[in-house]
Amino acid sequence: MLAPALVILGIFVLYPLGRAVWLGQQRCNDFGENCQSQGFGQYVDLFRSTEFQNALWVTVKFALLSVPTGLALGVGLAVLADRYLRGIGVFRAIFSSTVATSVAVASLMWLFLLQPSIGALANVGWFQSLFPSVKDPGWLQDPGTALTAVAASSVWAGLGFTFILVTAGLQSIPRELHEAAAVDGAGPIRRFWAITLPMLGPTLLFVLIVLTTRAFQTYGEIDLLTGGGPQPFDSTTTITYFVYGNNSPIRRDIGLQSASAVLLFVVLLVLSLLQLRGIGRRVHYGD
Amino acid sequence: MATELRAEEPSQSVSLRSRPGRASGFDAPRGGRKLARYVLLLAVAFIVLFPIYTTVIAALKPGDQVLQDPLVPGPFTFDVLGDAWTSGRLGRYIFNSLVVAVIVTVCQIVTSVLAAYAFAMLDFPGRNVLFVVFLATLLVPLEATLVVNLQTVDSLGWLNSYQGLAAPFLATAFGVFLMRQVFLQLPPDLRDAARIDGVGHVGFLRHIAVPLVRPTIGALALFAFLGTWNQYLWPNLVVNEADMNTVQSGLRLLANSSLDQPNLVMAGTVIAAIPVAAALLVFQRQLVRGLTAGAVKG
Amino acid sequence: MTPARLPRRSRSPRLRSRSLRSVALVTAAGVFAVACSSGESVLDSGNNNTDATTTGETTDVPASTADTEVTQPTEPSDPQTADAPTTSAIPTTTVAPLAELPDCPTDALDGADGVVEIVFWHGMTNELETALIALTDEYNTSQDRVVVQLQNQTSYDNVADNYISVSDSSRPVLVQLEESRLRSFADSGAVVPAGACLESSGFDTSAFVPRTLTAYQYEGIQWSMPFNVSNPILYYNRSIFEAAGLDPDDPPVSLDEVRAASQAIVDSGAASVGLVLDSGPGSGGGWFLEQWFGRVDEPYADNGNGRIAPATEVLFNSELGVELTTFLQDMIADGLAMTVGDNPGGQDSFLKLADQTAPGAMTIGTSAALGTVIATLGGGLIPGLTEDDFGTGPMPGPGDEPQVQVGGASLWITDGKSDQETAAAWDYVTFLLQAESQSQWAAATGYVPVRTDALDLDPLATTYADDPRFAVAFDQLLSGGDDDLANAPVLGPQREVRGETSRAMASIFNGEDPQTALDAAKQSSDALIANYNERN
Repeated sequence: MLAPALVILGIFVLYPLGRAVWLGQQRCNDFGENCQSQGFGQYVDLFRSTEFQNALWVTVKFALLSVPTGLALGVGLAVLADRYLRGIGVFRAIFSSTVATSVAVASLMWLFLLQPSIGALANVGWFQSLFPSVKDPGWLQDPGTALTAVAASSVWAGLGFTFILVTAGLQSIPRELHEAAAVDGAGPIRRFWAITLPMLGPTLLFVLIVLTTRAFQTYGEIDLLTGGGPQPFDSTTTITYFVYGNNSPIRRDIGLQSASAVLLFVVLLVLSLLQLRGIGRRVHYGD
Repeated sequence: MATELRAEEPSQSVSLRSRPGRASGFDAPRGGRKLARYVLLLAVAFIVLFPIYTTVIAALKPGDQVLQDPLVPGPFTFDVLGDAWTSGRLGRYIFNSLVVAVIVTVCQIVTSVLAAYAFAMLDFPGRNVLFVVFLATLLVPLEATLVVNLQTVDSLGWLNSYQGLAAPFLATAFGVFLMRQVFLQLPPDLRDAARIDGVGHVGFLRHIAVPLVRPTIGALALFAFLGTWNQYLWPNLVVNEADMNTVQSGLRLLANSSLDQPNLVMAGTVIAAIPVAAALLVFQRQLVRGLTAGAVKG
Repeated sequence: MTPARLPRRSRSPRLRSRSLRSVALVTAAGVFAVACSSGESVLDSGNNNTDATTTGETTDVPASTADTEVTQPTEPSDPQTADAPTTSAIPTTTVAPLAELPDCPTDALDGADGVVEIVFWHGMTNELETALIALTDEYNTSQDRVVVQLQNQTSYDNVADNYISVSDSSRPVLVQLEESRLRSFADSGAVVPAGACLESSGFDTSAFVPRTLTAYQYEGIQWSMPFNVSNPILYYNRSIFEAAGLDPDDPPVSLDEVRAASQAIVDSGAASVGLVLDSGPGSGGGWFLEQWFGRVDEPYADNGNGRIAPATEVLFNSELGVELTTFLQDMIADGLAMTVGDNPGGQDSFLKLADQTAPGAMTIGTSAALGTVIATLGGGLIPGLTEDDFGTGPMPGPGDEPQVQVGGASLWITDGKSDQETAAAWDYVTFLLQAESQSQWAAATGYVPVRTDALDLDPLATTYADDPRFAVAFDQLLSGGDDDLANAPVLGPQREVRGETSRAMASIFNGEDPQTALDAAKQSSDALIANYNERN
């Protein structure tokens, strides 16, 4: 009974990881031939190289830009919509709607929105005079704003997911808690901090984990929106884009590509271990 | 979207739309506060919908109008959508995505149910070790394996094929854990009673266990389907013949080869988003359950 | 320096264990132990040549004295004795005579039973793809032995990267590669040299523009056949020129003229900026830089632009490079020019000319964009601009006379395919290179015909006569020399080097000291070259 799953996971997860670890200490030509072993010091060299450090730093910045914002907005929307009002279902549908957009769909929408010459915002007169930088140089073209713009697109695309989960979390909070607190004279803000947020803990932790993992694996947004640029600082070259992106200097070096992929695994492993520790605590008080 | 809440047990399910029990007291604002909340809701809804709005407007405009007042709808034409459908070949790509997603979903359910049943109900030597191995695969990011997986799929001759697009995702540790979790919750008496009646493991799994955990299977199915549908990097790696593109890699193709036709690209985007949006409207219950089921992942 | 130690990946995680925390902390500590940056480029790490310490794209590079610091172990080989073995800096390349390379059975089609189907990977988009499809349809219906299936990989980069990532058997028999891939693919051992096909088929190339052929020769071998030859030209808005009191039929050619024209445009308020620049690797940040060096016959890399022997270093941080980039930087600083940045699809610089509120007057772009620009403007995407509103002129640059190198892409045949497929691929190539096909191709796209007799045939004869914008690229191509050395540089990691210069140009446009930026790019590029030479 285990065989099918074991075979698939063996061939497509464990074997490639092992092989990538092996390839990661090789140095080959553009065509993946004439490989020579460089020793595992190549991993250390790679990790300490300016290029990988830049990619790692960009990835961390991206996570810091997108995860807390995404979480806060998701909670905000869910709390906002967690009231009995006529037509609230419509609002909930709207807030959940971005869950139907894939990375490609969301990124292309934002690309059209933000393009400096043939984009939507740049061709709206009042918006452009309000924010001249949307056109010159363009938010995706300016090294100072590009990563933030990509993160905005990413946050937007993830909003539906966060909203649905947090709404579910809100509804599992016993109503009596709120009522009792209200009777004791606690206002809505106080109730939010004292009841809602703590009770949401497990949900928030889960969303946090998912959003962080996603942020660390970001590729599609970069591929479609910025191509790892703007230069000169590779301002949006995340680790995954560094491994697979057209403009990456290691795109045609399978040894360094594999080594970077393995380092991505290591970085995520560290994150995962921290997360699992969090999960343990969550299970502790969630049940 | 009237979303229904995580419901392992039907009795716990709460519908988002009709919640009569909460229609009173502090959570049903009145008067000025009610108005304020509506205003706030409208404002936020506007912001969330804004990218979708500009996209749809652009998709419906002819090429010589798309940059004139991008926020103002009209004049409308459906020609661009038709163009995107034919020249962007989105019908073909949607079909491809559908095939791959169905293959992956069905196989993931089968492999997950089988393996989860083994972990949950059978006792065999090395079970714990194997379980840790499964657990470990959960920590390996997809991106770390694709370089080699591309070589593997290539050496099997599966580039530009459904099996190549699907192969790496036919089993996931996540699915196994999810199913194991619910199998463990089945009352042990159930299996004992079945055994006394002479029902074997296969019969028990098929006729008793699987029907009982159907909601979780539905959640897993949706999770697997959406995950496959949204794959971006893998199709870009294994597909280099236009016929075999998925929706996502097809959109990339359309965007890269129609840089000067924003309305065409937006039309393609709209078309690509419609199937998922429609499916989610139909399967909203599974969606919420599927998303929240992920909570056991970790 | 911290003793670098990799974090162990083999710890098996145990659920709900208190030790998880300590495991995580230890692992994290391990990561941080190696996390301190070495400040070195990874491209350097495998090189034995420890002289070339490189600093990637960091900007805090101390004003470098790259010229003296990166001393090559040997002097570049004497051009006259190019084949003489040199020391380890230059890899001992086996200058393979054609006879030792795969042969090209061009007559194998005659023995074929049934239709031979072949696949052609290309990177043509927009109007270029439309024109290629038209030509290919024509070929497929013109004969019944071969059917060509086009597979669009959407960009030159994608064509090459997809080709490289798959195994031999998954590669198409015919592939279109950007000029920058010459050395990398010649070194690959994966291709049938076009020279072998020329020899066995006796295909007549006497009408070809000689440079288009020599551009794709390396080590004496014709590796691929030029198909879509382009070069950079000046695109400008005619009405802005008129409004600024400039002659719209006499665009600027020298750098001084560009500056003067831009000044007139800005002063008159005809446009907000004169020249629109970009720093993309395939345009202003890489390709144009090579072109500017070629314009005044200055070497971009050593060993005859890498054509006499494998290049060991780039020379773009020379006086010419600094002067040129300083000029561009000053233009930007003085408000006469602006940059649109990376220009990923190659369209942003053009679109800046069509901007509704703050247009630029001129930009430099590939001649291959002509067809698409005309189609886009003809389609009315840009309100108020028609296809007649823009003009083209020779690429401005250093020196007073326009001169360009062969750009664009060429057609490569994969080795190891069946004789019939190889022959079919060659048959299709010869169709694309016919005078009639080239005439049609050049007229639809803005590419330059590879042969002069295409000029006498319609539609190109009419196009060149009626629309002088199309003839500019052809005329300036002919102004360059025929010999190998007049051609573009050949570097193994040329695409990656363009990435480095692209970063340098972007930082120069942002105000970085040109000498510093170019020196840094030279160091990274030399490291890339050393790295490449060692891996091959």
